[in-house]
Amino acid sequence: MEQINKTRIFEKRFGKKKSYFTKSLYPNYRGFSERIERFKGEEYREVMPERSKLVAAIAKGLSQTGIREGSSVLYLGASHGYTPSFVSDIVGESGCVFSLDFAPRVVRDLVFVCESRKNMLPLLDDAFHPENYKDLVFDVDVVYQDIAQRNQLEIFLKNCDAFLKHGGFGLLALKARSVDVSRKPGDIFNEVEKELAKKMIIVDKRKLDPFEKDHIFFVVKKK
Amino acid sequence: MTENSLSFDDLRKKAIELTKKKIKESVSKDLMIINAINNVEELEKSINVLTGRLREWYALTNPELVNKISDNEKFVEIVLKDDASESVMGAPLDSDDEKAVKAQAVSIHALIQTKTFLLLYLEATMDVVCKNVLTLSGSTIGAKLIREAGSLKRLAYLQSSTVQLLGAEKALFRHIKTGARSPKYGHIVNHPLITGAKKDDRGKVARALADKISIAARVDYFKGEFIGEELLKELQSKFGNK
Repeated sequence: MEQINKTRIFEKRFGKKKSYFTKSLYPNYRGFSERIERFKGEEYREVMPERSKLVAAIAKGLSQTGIREGSSVLYLGASHGYTPSFVSDIVGESGCVFSLDFAPRVVRDLVFVCESRKNMLPLLDDAFHPENYKDLVFDVDVVYQDIAQRNQLEIFLKNCDAFLKHGGFGLLALKARSVDVSRKPGDIFNEVEKELAKKMIIVDKRKLDPFEKDHIFFVVKKK
Repeated sequence: MTENSLSFDDLRKKAIELTKKKIKESVSKDLMIINAINNVEELEKSINVLTGRLREWYALTNPELVNKISDNEKFVEIVLKDDASESVMGAPLDSDDEKAVKAQAVSIHALIQTKTFLLLYLEATMDVVCKNVLTLSGSTIGAKLIREAGSLKRLAYLQSSTVQLLGAEKALFRHIKTGARSPKYGHIVNHPLITGAKKDDRGKVARALADKISIAARVDYFKGEFIGEELLKELQSKFGNK
């Protein structure tokens, strides 16, 4: 079990295959039937890069996520809470994760995750209207967005403007097929990168295949 | 983190409470319709598979009957009632064997009854929520359209060209991506007006039908009067009589 840079995500080799883990903040918590590994008396939960775009980016060589112990994270597009639960492991007890999604069906599952992890907070709101949930969120160190919408870049910039601290990190998982199905993903990536560079400093970018098709993962820093 | 007057724990409690309330409020009649149609479809699948197994088994004792009755529901009923005609090819069953076959038939029969009940329920619910859509498209097609759109509200806000292709997403995106031929209809393909039309006319009928369904959904969502009958008559006079 070895930490990857300082991401607080760990990797372990099983023969040729690498598996990824986070140190469990709440031992005995197993909300997604994930595999548990014990190492030096601590409990580690396995994260699948196929299910989590953050870990997919790490598996593709991303060295810095900006999420540290004690960070506060605004997580847009939390869905059932799979990745957020691992982000909550990473930030630890002193950090917090605001997890937001728009669909009542998935937030129903998310609420159960949040109830059993004390540093997570559920929000049922439209990420396109930050003014609706500004009372429940304070300024954060990291904004993470994984929303498959046509205007996902606009939503990202809006939320970074509203909640991200200066020098804070923004993580954006961009799905080209949601922006436009008929155009080439590469063109869309370039265009989005240009737009993004106007307002942010691009730290790193990774394409997510083979874990996700036509996705790219941006790490940006607020100017 | 502590710069705000509210601590994170208080904020969290408040947010959980608020979210729970919002989830509770999000439950609507639309969701009942969507769940009903999903269950009906699943039941249909199960009934088909299980009756296929039952046929295989019963064919040992009466292959002639299995061959003759192609309708699944009728077949299950005959097996239950035990009024099958004599068989030459089939071997007689022990009473134990017969009990086992019957037990399977009983459970399939129960599934069929559940399905019938759900369909009645679906029709009754839609009669209250979206009478115009129900009259125009029938309960199953209407419910599928609502499911594909997400809710009656979203169905009402869709263009009719989208309504026409709901349920044909795979073919539509194949068309957009690769330039293959565009689909003409989605779920509405099973509508009697379209199945009854000549092959060349089907696209035309689908377009007109989607138009009217779209109008009906809008009237339903904004609580208008009942105009389904008129819309249907208009379509029938145009395309109904061949």
